[in-house]
Amino acid sequence: MVADLIESVVKILFIFSVNIGFFSPILGWVERKQSALMQDRVGANRADVFGFTLIGLFHPIADAIKVLTKEDFIPEGADRLFHTIAPFISLTPAIIAFAVIPFGGQYELFGHRVNLIIADLDVGILFIFAFASLASFGAVLGGWASNNNWSFLGGLRASAQMLSYEVVMGLNIIGVIMVYGTLSLSEIGAMQVNLFNWGIFLQPIGFVLFFTCAIAENKRAPFDVAEAESELVAGYFTEYSGMKFVMFWMGEFLEIVTISGLVTTMFFGAWHLPFVSDQMLVDFFGFAGPNGASILAILVNIATFFAKVIFFIWLQMTIRWTLPRFRYDQVMRLGWKMFLPIALINIFITGLVLLAK
Amino acid sequence: MSDSAKDLHSEYMVINMGPSHPVTHGTVKFLLTLEGETIIDMKVDIGYLHRGFEKMCENGTWEQVMPYTDRLNYVSPLINNVGYALAVEKLIGIDVPERCKYIRVIASELARISDHYTNIAASGLELGAFTAFLYFVEARELLWDLIEMLCGARVTANYVRIGGLKNDLPDGFKAKTREVFKTCRELWADVDHLLTKNRIFIDRVRNVGIMPPEDAIAWGFTGPCLRACGIPYDVRKFHPYLVYDQMDFEVPVGEKGDNFDRYLVRMEEINQSMRIVEQALENIPSGPVNVNMPEYRWQSKDDIGNRIESLIFHFKTVTEGIKPPPGEIYSAVEGANGELGFYLVSDGSGKPYKCRVRPPCFPLTAAMPKMVKGGFIADIVPTFDMINMIGGECDR
Amino acid sequence: MADLNIKNSYPVMGISIEKLKPKKVRKNIELTLWERLYIFEIIRGMHITSMHFFINLIGFVLPPKGKKRRIMTVYYPEEKLTLPAAYRGRPVLVAREDGSEKCVACGLCQKICPASAISIIAEERENGERYPSSYTLDMSRCVYCGYCEEVCPKEAIVMSAEYEGLARRNRNNLRFSKEKLLRSEKSVKDRIEYIRGIYAKCNY
Repeated sequence: MVADLIESVVKILFIFSVNIGFFSPILGWVERKQSALMQDRVGANRADVFGFTLIGLFHPIADAIKVLTKEDFIPEGADRLFHTIAPFISLTPAIIAFAVIPFGGQYELFGHRVNLIIADLDVGILFIFAFASLASFGAVLGGWASNNNWSFLGGLRASAQMLSYEVVMGLNIIGVIMVYGTLSLSEIGAMQVNLFNWGIFLQPIGFVLFFTCAIAENKRAPFDVAEAESELVAGYFTEYSGMKFVMFWMGEFLEIVTISGLVTTMFFGAWHLPFVSDQMLVDFFGFAGPNGASILAILVNIATFFAKVIFFIWLQMTIRWTLPRFRYDQVMRLGWKMFLPIALINIFITGLVLLAK
Repeated sequence: MSDSAKDLHSEYMVINMGPSHPVTHGTVKFLLTLEGETIIDMKVDIGYLHRGFEKMCENGTWEQVMPYTDRLNYVSPLINNVGYALAVEKLIGIDVPERCKYIRVIASELARISDHYTNIAASGLELGAFTAFLYFVEARELLWDLIEMLCGARVTANYVRIGGLKNDLPDGFKAKTREVFKTCRELWADVDHLLTKNRIFIDRVRNVGIMPPEDAIAWGFTGPCLRACGIPYDVRKFHPYLVYDQMDFEVPVGEKGDNFDRYLVRMEEINQSMRIVEQALENIPSGPVNVNMPEYRWQSKDDIGNRIESLIFHFKTVTEGIKPPPGEIYSAVEGANGELGFYLVSDGSGKPYKCRVRPPCFPLTAAMPKMVKGGFIADIVPTFDMINMIGGECDR
Repeated sequence: MADLNIKNSYPVMGISIEKLKPKKVRKNIELTLWERLYIFEIIRGMHITSMHFFINLIGFVLPPKGKKRRIMTVYYPEEKLTLPAAYRGRPVLVAREDGSEKCVACGLCQKICPASAISIIAEERENGERYPSSYTLDMSRCVYCGYCEEVCPKEAIVMSAEYEGLARRNRNNLRFSKEKLLRSEKSVKDRIEYIRGIYAKCNY
């Protein structure tokens, strides 16, 4: 009982610190530096502490200090309550969705069965979709409550876009569910020991569509019509500054990490190195004793998982800085007229193949 | 459903895409009447960068106008310099040496390339392709290094004089040009692969902002926007000036008059301009670069220091200004946006009586409502970018 | 509007179509089916940017020879650009060996300055030489066009290569007096060589 509690607290603290403490500031740094290297320039590298610049890693700390000391204003005529809670609504689902993503398998540690996932629900995928839908409220409320025509347009666009792409995302996942036969993310991860069982080989179209829909859901380029910097000044967060603005931003970055985590779990082998199962790893590290072997195996699996997550983060950043942005009606047309039929065809073909087996 | 839609009170939204907006990079105001996202009506307001160029010209002498012309179309200042100098020389009736003509052609084409880079980069930026923007800005930096080597300043060049140039080509210019063009061609290929066949980009710019050819001529279009409609009017071919009739280059022509054609025409013109610069550097003759007329062109420092007639002419032309014979003239060059015309009136004194500029982007901006009505707000962005409205030129 | 038809208008304008050389840009831009699916051109675009990314990343770790890194950014206060000989920086007055200015207060630079930045008050020395008792160059008006250097008959004002140090907290401090503008002839020797070269007789 106590062991369960300690285990949960340790896992929650780990995920929180990795997500908010590590990924959030680092993603800001990665965005600056990666875009700079892609564009033949050097990113920001001037913030220093006692003369050490450390390739610009202090910039997120400088950003945090700036944001905390900025004036927090609410524009005149704006709806005070909604203006204040919109960023919270946008940020929370991104953090909570990580509760069902497994970052390791099951191990024996100090006589206790440890499962490296915060909440091992049987309906993990459904939980994630439920929370992702809530995130659309944040954008809409932010746009409406700002008393600004441009924010209003951004909020309208955001609402339509996020709703449509949730539908399509749900249909894409049905292919994966049919192939693996379960809604639980930890079981899907556990089934991908064999390289040719990875989701990307079993469901290639599903992978491409799901990745694209997830980027669209996150409102990142090329689907950032709601935030379009050149048309709508800054879209639905024009009137935000200081801590609230950072909460919108952090929500976006954390959702990048969540999407990468989901794609890794469902399509890229979760925490497994190809053809290496958990038991093989524990046996390999047998020289360190049973607990030591478990700990080393846990570390290897967590490292593999996060390496794959980092690859997908890199991929999303590259996509953002390379591609121009869609027009609003083209986004809708893409979602309903192109992705929906392809997703349905995907389900149909998957069904046929499964029947034939 | 339709009954309740009729009962709903709906009104058009009037919104101001004002002078300080990320997309109006030439400070212009659009008053949009919107229904949802569709544009019902649009009004254009210009004049936010009016600095009184024509009035300022009347207060100074003919040579003092030259730095002001740098600031007309500030992304291709050398073309404005050349245009003004050609107009005054036509008014006086003098002809400059051959070498000067070749160098003026080189300077014009370098400025034209840099203008097209800036325009396509800005369009890429506003459509969201940040990387294409920075690749072309890097190419433009290299070109500006060349121009800095030539005349000393990157943007406000002040290089051309009435009756010649400020200085001859520096040593090592040809070798540096070759090196710079190699890198520029690689960057051009990169941006071409990033944008030209990218379906996302094509969907944004194709069939958007269409202008049929008859209407284009009626509105007064010239330059790349007119060539995109299918009419191959280029001042360098129809009324050749300097040594353009000896240069071998092609005029890119579009088909439909939409933004995609304008983009393609500009990309191809960059290549053609590079061809012209390379031909000019191959064939340039040797000789003087200034005309030897002390009453119109300042003499060399040796002469001013040693000969009394030169000194007297120098003092007269600097204090009172050069004195073209009374008359009026219109002379046009092919600017990066279209036909840049200068209409000069002289009354025989050292100050211009009137110096009117025909800005190429003025009719283009005026035609914006016609191109955009019925489209979305998101269509204003590529249309306005591809027109290449430069505030300094449109408002003077 | 028949004369808008390309074939008809050329004999009227007197230019043959071979001389005009129009080049249709749209010829091979129609998309094939392969390209119409978004994904393949997108992957090609991402390939280009990723190539730039990796080449630049390696260029930081193993810089090409002769340079500190592959990217052309100059880390400004620590590294400075080498300027070409033609660079027009801030105008400065040239001083002879005894510290007095070469300027004879002829007033040509004041007349030609398009921004009216120069004001001169002339006086005469005992031996009959003219000199400027007060020479004010308003740096907030100067547009760095180089006309003053071009018209000066005595090579007394040149555009140096300085571009820094022009920020002041008070606008009056930007009106530079004669003392602030004087530089020794040795320090602007390169510039004087350059202007003797470009304004030489061979160019006229």
